[in-house]
Amino acid sequence: MSFAEFLPQLLPILILLGLVLAVIGALRRILLWRQGQESTIHWAGLFSIPQRYLVDLHHVVASDKYISNTHVATAGGFVLTALLVILIYLFDVATNILNYALLASSGLMFVGAVFVLMRRINPPPNLSLGPWSRLPYSLLIFSSSFFVLTLPASGLLPIDSGSWLLAILLVVGIIWGVGEMFFGLTWGGPMKHAFAGALHLGLHRRQDRFGGGRSTGLISIDLEKDKLGVEKPEDFKWSQLLSFDACVECGRCEKACPAFAAGQPLNPKKIIQDMVVGMAGGNTAKFAGSAYPGVELGSHKGGAVIPIVDVLLEANTLWSCTTCRACVQECPMMIEHVDAIVDMRRFETMEKGKTPGKGAEVLDNLNTTDNPNGHAPSSRMNWAADQNLAVFGSDVDRADVLLWIGDAAFDMRNQRTLRAMITLLRAAKVDFAVLGDCECDSGDLARRLGDEATFQRLAKTNIATMSQFEFKHIVTADPHAFHCLKNEYADFGGHYDVYHHTGFFADLVKNGKIKLNTNNAISLTYHDPCYLGRYNGEYDAPRYLLEAMGINVKEMERSKSKSRCCGGGGGAAVTDIPGKQRIPDMRMDDANSTGAEIVAVACPGCSQMLEGVVEPRPQVKDIAELMLDALCEEVV
Amino acid sequence: MAQFDALFKPLKINQLTIRNRVVSTAHAEVYATEGGMTTERYVKYYEEKSKGGVGLCICGGSSVVSIDSPQEWWKSVNLSTDRIIPHFQNLADAVHKHGGKIMIQITHMGRRSRWDGGNWSTLVSPSGIREPVHRATCKSIEVEEMQRIIGDFAKAAGRAKAGGLDGVELSAVHQHLIDQFWSPRVNQRTDEWGGSFENRMRFGMEVLKAVRAEVGRDFAVGLRITGDEFHADGLNHEDMKEIAAYYNKTGLLDFFSVIGSGCDTHNTLANVIPNMSYPPEPFLHLAAGIKGVVDVPVMHAQNIKDPNQAQRILEAGYVDFVGMTRAHIADPHLITKIKLNQIDQIKQCVGANYCIDRQYQGLDVLCIQNAATSRESTMPHIIQKTSGVIRKVVVIGGGPGGMEAARVCAERGHKVSLIEKNPELGGQITIASKAPQRDQIAGITRWFALELARLGVDVQLNTAADEATIRGTNADVIILATGAQPFLTQNPHWGAAEGLVVSSWDILNGTVAPGKNVLVYDTICEFSGLSVADFLAHAGAQVEMVTDDIKPGAAVGGTTFPTYYRSLYEREVIMSSDLVLEKVYREGDKLVAVLENEYTGQQEERVVDQVVVENGVRPDERLYFQLKQDSRNKGQIDIEALYAAKPQPALTEAADGYLLYRIGDCVAQRNTHAAIYDALRLCKDF
Repeated sequence: MSFAEFLPQLLPILILLGLVLAVIGALRRILLWRQGQESTIHWAGLFSIPQRYLVDLHHVVASDKYISNTHVATAGGFVLTALLVILIYLFDVATNILNYALLASSGLMFVGAVFVLMRRINPPPNLSLGPWSRLPYSLLIFSSSFFVLTLPASGLLPIDSGSWLLAILLVVGIIWGVGEMFFGLTWGGPMKHAFAGALHLGLHRRQDRFGGGRSTGLISIDLEKDKLGVEKPEDFKWSQLLSFDACVECGRCEKACPAFAAGQPLNPKKIIQDMVVGMAGGNTAKFAGSAYPGVELGSHKGGAVIPIVDVLLEANTLWSCTTCRACVQECPMMIEHVDAIVDMRRFETMEKGKTPGKGAEVLDNLNTTDNPNGHAPSSRMNWAADQNLAVFGSDVDRADVLLWIGDAAFDMRNQRTLRAMITLLRAAKVDFAVLGDCECDSGDLARRLGDEATFQRLAKTNIATMSQFEFKHIVTADPHAFHCLKNEYADFGGHYDVYHHTGFFADLVKNGKIKLNTNNAISLTYHDPCYLGRYNGEYDAPRYLLEAMGINVKEMERSKSKSRCCGGGGGAAVTDIPGKQRIPDMRMDDANSTGAEIVAVACPGCSQMLEGVVEPRPQVKDIAELMLDALCEEVV
Repeated sequence: MAQFDALFKPLKINQLTIRNRVVSTAHAEVYATEGGMTTERYVKYYEEKSKGGVGLCICGGSSVVSIDSPQEWWKSVNLSTDRIIPHFQNLADAVHKHGGKIMIQITHMGRRSRWDGGNWSTLVSPSGIREPVHRATCKSIEVEEMQRIIGDFAKAAGRAKAGGLDGVELSAVHQHLIDQFWSPRVNQRTDEWGGSFENRMRFGMEVLKAVRAEVGRDFAVGLRITGDEFHADGLNHEDMKEIAAYYNKTGLLDFFSVIGSGCDTHNTLANVIPNMSYPPEPFLHLAAGIKGVVDVPVMHAQNIKDPNQAQRILEAGYVDFVGMTRAHIADPHLITKIKLNQIDQIKQCVGANYCIDRQYQGLDVLCIQNAATSRESTMPHIIQKTSGVIRKVVVIGGGPGGMEAARVCAERGHKVSLIEKNPELGGQITIASKAPQRDQIAGITRWFALELARLGVDVQLNTAADEATIRGTNADVIILATGAQPFLTQNPHWGAAEGLVVSSWDILNGTVAPGKNVLVYDTICEFSGLSVADFLAHAGAQVEMVTDDIKPGAAVGGTTFPTYYRSLYEREVIMSSDLVLEKVYREGDKLVAVLENEYTGQQEERVVDQVVVENGVRPDERLYFQLKQDSRNKGQIDIEALYAAKPQPALTEAADGYLLYRIGDCVAQRNTHAAIYDALRLCKDF
């Protein structure tokens, strides 16, 4: 039998075998996902997969041009090649156009695969090795095998060219290639990401994230359920289990994670991979990426019905997270690390009562005093004794603006920001009032610490209080309160038009209601708060205000969506998991490297964390404080 | 609990919400001029405190309600006329603008004044008994006069209210007319205004009722009282509790302010404004005792200077408000600095009592270490950065003048070096702090040292600057604050050259060991002489203090010489006046001091083993004259500009070379305040 006769007989069998095994693998994988809890299936999303891939996913990947181009070539080449191979070699639809198309697509894939290989010559530490190091060779073999195979068919080489040796090589190559690319697609090889990733894009739990939308509020849970939070992998929603399988182990999350950089025992990529181990069963020995700092690799095991904490991972891993969302922002596969972490924290806090550090005390305080540090509720307005503020209920029942004070009421540092805001609001003749002693903590901290019950109680209390009064907008200097009020109160009937003070002031400056002098030759950098920036997409208003004061902002390398957390979010400041260094110190180093004398902030948490860095360091000022300094006195 | 939450807990006095628990209590400012009207200076002094965050100011210590309570001696506020009302409106607006509240103390001082000036008023007192501190004689008050004065109190309170002030404090403290009636020591009447408890209380009660009737129930009215007069024949703590409870029961009062001690003798007066020899809050227990018997807020001021101390007192609940009055004279921005977490930047009162000792001499109240206080119209508390040229400034000498000059220049943004030959900053303050009970004066240096470090001043210690080094710095401005040296050569017969006499510095610095039998000859009669005598006595020496002046320590203020005297008498120091030291000679291993009576010329001798002479200091002028000729300004300060608080004209003249200025004792012997004021007013416009 000649080469030309042998291959056409073998090929359909191999391809069919690969496809059948892939389908079996897919069904098996779907069963794994279905171990999870029910959640809405957004069937319509499946039709949006190509668009989401090309737009939303690509938007994330495009921040790294090298890999985005490489992936377009490789993945595009592969999809086309796979379809053409099936058409030509399985269904025997042999036309020359198709052959040339196959040559082109496999060639494209080959070129892409070369770049994949080059990237792995000296791989950065965030890339996983193991099977992922094999993938570029598989890609090269797959594409080159079909390329060579198709050369004779296309007439570019004689039909009987080649030898048995070549035939054997081609067969081996095709077995390898089809094995990796079809069988591996659903049986847990690196190509799993394409299968699970595509479905995840379609069936994503947060459909609002696509098409330029934003969905960052934590998803409420029913407090009447028998079990609160996630104890075992099976307690996740099935869609979350699916999302874990989409991970490509690119480690962009790891590069962005402030806790990882600080040497705290957290690596978002490994969390996701651990969840895959938990879902499928087994141990973590095969993981070929960076360990949780300070935790030995490969010593944990998991299973769908085995508790996660203390078995699959250590509790400190969960509590190291600042919920800064840098990992989520960076993830090309749109995986929701923060959701998963908070889900597991919910079980730790509400079912086990094991919130570490000062977390438990803070939650107790919230329950007894409605504020995290246990101040007497009646002392909430002490700071404003000389401000003559209109208080809803006792002075007024309506005002244009409800000024949300937040926990800054109890903190002398941030009272400065509040006083500055009040002067600015008065200068702009804004009609505003406060809730006074009736304001409770927004619940942000409780929620991020996993105490959903306390969050919901606080949210409902605040909503009930606010429902008694009439106002058009809420304005607050606290991005955490801003986020809760704007994005998380809606589940409980609180729908408000909420402004962060920078957004509100930016409008006032644009409308000429606040006049700022522009001769402020200040050497300044701006630190984007996570809950204003990544959570709510507000990068422009603070910069607009700084520019309106004539300040030329010296941007840090990590700014806007890539801003690094101050270390204070998600309760990290109270759980205080030890690492090698402190996140705020790292962030201050970022600021220092710009040479700025002032770090402008727009969050009371950031100001506390950054001011906690030992001097000498740049001064920390809220934008409201800077505006107060630059406020033009009204000419009477 | 946050660190200062007790301090920042608002509290209501009647209808008034006070934003925090810190009060600047009533004291005489001594600059309500033009017949007792509050001036721009007065308004700005209180505005600065309000801007600095204080909760409540009670201004106008001993502000008079009647024309026969003389106002002009201490330039106190005059509430006996409606002319005061518009002045109050300015004052109230200025304080309210920054969120503070302001009340005024009103009083009739009775016998505690002087009659020999102004209207030549005949002073009145319940029983016409002379007041020793002011050497004031008086008549026994008649009932008609009492009725008039009661009416005057009511009208005065009405004027305070009409002027927009937030309340009045009736003074029944410091032996004013109301407490003159209370105290059996002074009230020996046998009519219905004396004798029994109710009778002695009657005058004050009538005043209170009349005031309340005039201002209505919603206007804040308080009473300042002593917690114990510390006189055997006076009112003790139990008496005062009874009195406080009695007035409290009327429900007409909104607060009590309590201090410890009476003050109609020199010795008790010193208790009232405790100087640095006292422990912190020495009389808090008396205020706490009063708090135990009344229902309204109680405030207390006496040696409360530190925010942590204030927090501790409030947190423990001894009183409701702390008076931090001298603390605010030293630093009117005390509260703001707490809020800004700049506690290290608070200029803390050291209890030198420069302020109150000036006041008792009828001089305007100034702070020994803060030359901006009471000069808010011309001198800045907060130095703004310059927008002009950045100069290279070299300051020679790290005494108070040099430290202030370096601080102000650094705040202005200049490049500043401070060169000091000693191993530590402080200059003469360091020497002064070596004496017993005087260690706290070093707090002045401590603050400067912290500020100079914060401002990045290049401080070079152990460095004696000579002419070449200074020229080599290529400074734009050279400020000499090199101080002075003890002046022992004025009379060559003292034998300083032969080492027969030593200076007070030698003793205090420890360069000469104290002798066993020592004569201290003090021509200056300020702190230095008393300090060295006290130091020697504490070291076990037998000391005679001799002065040619009228008494040792004659120039030391009324709140401080008593604490020295307590210590000196206790250690059997002999104090001799009116003797001039003519000569010292050696006889065997002894020294003989020849003293001559100023008034008779009669000579006497003392055989001692050590003679310490305190004859002040001579300026250290050497560097000045070496540098003067080549300086752009020939070392001259334009005093017209200086006195007008304007920039030195030489600063804006374009020329090469350096400007040379000298300040403090290297010009002429003066005091700490003068050196600091020299520096501030000169350097604030650099």
